[in-house]
Amino acid sequence: MALVKLKEFCIPESPGQVSACAAKYGDNALILGGGSFIHGLEARGLLSEVEALIDIRKLGLAGMAATGEGVRIGAMTTFAELEKLPELASAAWLGALKDALTYPPMQIKNVATVGGCIAASCPFFDIPTAFLALDAKLTVSGAGAKREIGLAELFAGLFENSLEPGELITEVRLAKPAGRAASAFIKLEGTANDLAIVNAAVRISVDAAGVCQEVRIALGGGVGDSVVRSASAEKLLLGQKLSADLIQHAAEAVGQDISPMEDHRATAAYRLAMAKVITRRALNQALSRLN
Amino acid sequence: MLMTNLNVVGKRVLRQDAYEKVVGGKGFPVNFSLPGMLHGKMLRSPYPHARILRIDTSRAEQLPGVKAVMTPKDVPQIPFNPIFFMPAGSMGIHRDMLILSDTVRFAGQPVAAVAATTVAIAEQALQLIDVEYEELLAVFDPEEAMKEGAPEIHVGVKNNIRDTPSFSAGDVEAGFKDADYIFEGTYETQRVHTCYMEPRVCVSDTDSNGHITIYSSIGHLFGLRERMAYVLGLPVSKVTAVQAPYVGGSFGSKIDFAYIEALSALLSAKTRKPVRFEHTRYEDFICNARHPMKVHLKTGIKKDGTFTARYASTLCDTSAYSTHGPEVILVHAYFGLMLGYRSPHMKWEGTVVFTNNMPGGAFRGYGAPQAAFAVESQIDEICDKLGFDPIEFRLKNTPRQGDPHPFNPEWKLNSYALDECLNKGAERMGWSQRAKTGSASGAKKRGIGMAAHPLWVSGCVGFPDIYEHSGAIIRLNVDGTAYLSSATMDIGSGQNTTLCQIAAEELGLAFDSVRMAPGNTDNLPFDAPTHASRVTYSSGNAVKVAAADAKKNLLEVAATVMEANVADLEVRDGMITVKGSPAQAMSVADVVKRAESPFMVIGAQGPAPTTLKEKGTIMGISSVAPPANASPAVAEFVEVEVDTETGQVKVLRAVYAHDLGRVVNPAAAEGQVEGGLQQGIGFALMEKMLFDPETGACLTSDFLDYKMPTAVEMPSKIECIFIESNEPTGPFGAKSLAEACLIVPAPAIANAIYNAIGVRIRSLPITPEKILAALGKL
Repeated sequence: MALVKLKEFCIPESPGQVSACAAKYGDNALILGGGSFIHGLEARGLLSEVEALIDIRKLGLAGMAATGEGVRIGAMTTFAELEKLPELASAAWLGALKDALTYPPMQIKNVATVGGCIAASCPFFDIPTAFLALDAKLTVSGAGAKREIGLAELFAGLFENSLEPGELITEVRLAKPAGRAASAFIKLEGTANDLAIVNAAVRISVDAAGVCQEVRIALGGGVGDSVVRSASAEKLLLGQKLSADLIQHAAEAVGQDISPMEDHRATAAYRLAMAKVITRRALNQALSRLN
Repeated sequence: MLMTNLNVVGKRVLRQDAYEKVVGGKGFPVNFSLPGMLHGKMLRSPYPHARILRIDTSRAEQLPGVKAVMTPKDVPQIPFNPIFFMPAGSMGIHRDMLILSDTVRFAGQPVAAVAATTVAIAEQALQLIDVEYEELLAVFDPEEAMKEGAPEIHVGVKNNIRDTPSFSAGDVEAGFKDADYIFEGTYETQRVHTCYMEPRVCVSDTDSNGHITIYSSIGHLFGLRERMAYVLGLPVSKVTAVQAPYVGGSFGSKIDFAYIEALSALLSAKTRKPVRFEHTRYEDFICNARHPMKVHLKTGIKKDGTFTARYASTLCDTSAYSTHGPEVILVHAYFGLMLGYRSPHMKWEGTVVFTNNMPGGAFRGYGAPQAAFAVESQIDEICDKLGFDPIEFRLKNTPRQGDPHPFNPEWKLNSYALDECLNKGAERMGWSQRAKTGSASGAKKRGIGMAAHPLWVSGCVGFPDIYEHSGAIIRLNVDGTAYLSSATMDIGSGQNTTLCQIAAEELGLAFDSVRMAPGNTDNLPFDAPTHASRVTYSSGNAVKVAAADAKKNLLEVAATVMEANVADLEVRDGMITVKGSPAQAMSVADVVKRAESPFMVIGAQGPAPTTLKEKGTIMGISSVAPPANASPAVAEFVEVEVDTETGQVKVLRAVYAHDLGRVVNPAAAEGQVEGGLQQGIGFALMEKMLFDPETGACLTSDFLDYKMPTAVEMPSKIECIFIESNEPTGPFGAKSLAEACLIVPAPAIANAIYNAIGVRIRSLPITPEKILAALGKL
């Protein structure tokens, strides 16, 4: 059940020490961000092979900065810290992130980290869905050189990421989109302490004539093994003049790109129906922020 | 007439344990430990129905740190029923559980236990126990369990039907013939857990004479002692149950025995060390839960809105063992379904069925939440269909103040203000402005609904074979304060504070001058469990009697010292004065000092004797039951918002009106209402224990999977209207509050949802999916 094979709790103070610990335990080392998800995994017997926990709080990866080009967020920035980013209050293009940060309960906000919630590769989390719609880029560093990857490349499957042993996410970058852009996020939840039944994030850019110049639609929460983009819905909107009918039509199309699951939170049929409802609502919410 | 010149009762006082609890609560049993203590763990069956053919514990016993392993052959095979409120040998209960049995009847039933030097070693040892099971066919659905050919769960219990209680009054068939309209419906409720915060925990210690001392998180001190002695085959005097200053929640769950208490004692006896058990949350979940019930309700109505006949049948899944099933279904029938509303003809038939599900237990409301969901939903259906005002309709069919008590006509409803609850609640909610059903526009629709519960209990006086007496000891201290000792367990609702207020009021002391002094079963008088909404009324009554006794003794000493007549003395705020001449005064502290002083006292003039008459500790004692069982009355109004695109329901506002005779501590009373509403919202909208359909294993093992409402799901506005009708048999006019707070929310919410969207859901929880399906959108 529990962390029965745990041998070491490493607290590295340099990237080299991370590599050393990772080299020793390979796939059986688990990097801790805020650690908010570990109990849930452990209680479900999913950490029974873990031999080492690597606590990276001393690597100095917290912090954030906004420039004219966008926002950079250190991987160990907590949700509570991120909420204080001044641009969240004013920038319509960051609306999805602002919305997503309203959902987690305070206990989670105080410990959960931006990097941890991404690396966990849990499709039921909220921030990753928002980041996917915001075209987040990740800086990943390991024993060798740094590399840059898109968020979607990180997700390898349910609770599985594409990082090599010893690699960790150091930074998340959100580039400000060109033109008039706004984004929004909605989570459908059983209770405020629960994971998403489904969630949806959209970012949309519209020109002065009301024609969609760019759009991202991302869905999470039991609609697949990873957070997914809906190419079908995006395609319907891109280059079109937006109308209520078109938005409705695009929201319906998300069904083509998701594989809703059935669990104790909801049936697959309910998830499918709700993915459409909240996609429509999120699109409307984003558009309302353009005005 | 309600006494108005009270100093302590009715005041919003701060709980004496409030600060201590928020900094970690040293007094919680889970924080208790003894030096050299071992840690116990249970091995649980993965199968829901099986016979154990062989258990090999040799590998576990060899693990360093393991001090003892127990299997069914090592424990007394004395069948018992775990419920504390009835005598262990009562004719009224079925005894079909064993501490460890070689027959498994639910997934998770313990089959062996280990005591080791650490929890980790004990857990590791469990993995080393080899059990060979013979799997048996299992059945989880009570209707399936009753069919011919279903697996036999208990030998000789035909079709798994444990009990078929019934009652009738009048001629129900004739009553239906008299009816102008007949309404019929089936209402189902689910298995939910109380979700107390503190896990079940106990530490047993055995001395060299075999005397057992147990420290536990249980809700009945004397019940624990009695059950321990019973299952171990010992006289009760060989067991001491020690009272914790407070317990982290029970909501009914902890008024029965789990497996850990007896196992810890047996392991302690074997190892000669204290042995501690603490449930994991998963173990708490499968320990007991509210009984799922299916109620069929049929009601005959005259055109004028009066009942002609009421018929109901209830199917209750009592699960793998009898436990509370046969008892809970009776309370459900009398105080939940039938007696709250008048009808010339009534009939009820119950069926209590065994299944291979986890045991049922007590949960705040004890059968009434399941009943009220049926009754109050159907009344709403009747009113909606026939155009009656739900409030007038209820008043037409409910008892009035002064009526004989429907359960026992020897008592009267002396204080009974259901009409005030309904009218004041309606006015506060703006009931008269309630929109017509389904008339709201937009995707999010609002609705208002209400439910009442016309009859409930303040304890168990009048119920056969259920303990009800309470006792208290009051001792006065030389500093003018008092200690109150009572075996009542404070399970989190602030019982200790309430009882101290009652004692302080009666003694004429300030609230801060009375402190609860915990004891144990060796030095406290008996008290019934903390259940049945009984503590304020019943234990409170005993505390008041003990305080009056102490006050009488205090004033007698004061009269001697002050050279006054006892009848002329009064005590208020810690001062004793002669009526009419306030200058003649003496503090309680000085009087007690005199009483406690040495026989010969050295004064300015040298040693001088005091009189024998004024000597001795000033005390008061009691052991009594109240003369009746006063009924509270309650009505709750809620406003909801239903998102007709997602099916999600938000409770926006609640108005709760309750005739509780007298409010002792308004802050604690409001806490009861709010907590009851929270549990009611969970029951109504989201909570449900889930089980693997093949293995029966519980899938909701923590709060990630078990959905309880959080603060975010609570309405921002919860308004309490406490109606003080002054119950003459209660302490300072008080009667009960606790359980009713959870009986009414579910039907009130269901009725509000109906008002919002015109759709009636007759099974709980009312999930978004059920709503969308009913709206034809899924």
